[in-house]
Amino acid sequence: MSIKVLFFGAIADKLGTRSLVVPEQKNMRLSDVLQQAGCESYRPFLVAVNQEQVNDEQQFMHAGDEVAIMPPFSGG
Amino acid sequence: MDAVRIQEEDFSIEAEVDALRASSKRIGGIATFLGCARDFSEGRDVSSIAFEQYAGMAEAALQSLRAEALATFDIIEVRIIHRITTVYAGDQIVLIVVAAEHRGPAFKACEWIIDTLKQRVPIWKKELTPEGDSWVTQHP
Repeated sequence: MSIKVLFFGAIADKLGTRSLVVPEQKNMRLSDVLQQAGCESYRPFLVAVNQEQVNDEQQFMHAGDEVAIMPPFSGG
Repeated sequence: MDAVRIQEEDFSIEAEVDALRASSKRIGGIATFLGCARDFSEGRDVSSIAFEQYAGMAEAALQSLRAEALATFDIIEVRIIHRITTVYAGDQIVLIVVAAEHRGPAFKACEWIIDTLKQRVPIWKKELTPEGDSWVTQHP
């Protein structure tokens, strides 16, 4: 099982991809996923897990989770 | 038509106001906010604006904005429509329509919804200009 990572807006353009899959590991935290996704240098960004915005990057991840890495919003 | 929608196609303000008016006979005032595409931004000509959303989360965020507005302000009904497509100068982007018994709460709720939408809803706009494309990062 694995964790799906989605990228949006400027971050997706800079990375040259809109999604990737990170293999799930035991006791994996959100911060580990962010590091493996290679997006640390694009802060500030917002993070959602399973479509809910989250602030705690130390939370544990589960197989099948969907993580979204999002630049500040600019709708409207 | 649903009261909250994300769609590619254009919308009709009149149709949305009519739908709102049909929802209650207690409505005494309706406030609207219509966001449109400009041909100039940050000192540059803008040819078009492309929108991206986080599908699912964006619509859920709009639904919760509507619910929070209905719970917070003394209003009767709210409709929110946001287009996700490529738009050109003068095109309609977003519509917020708020009905209340009195104008004060309708104006306040309408302003709160558009201000909060910009902070909470995962939608991004990219301006296409003759000098190149650039993602918008501010909340003016």
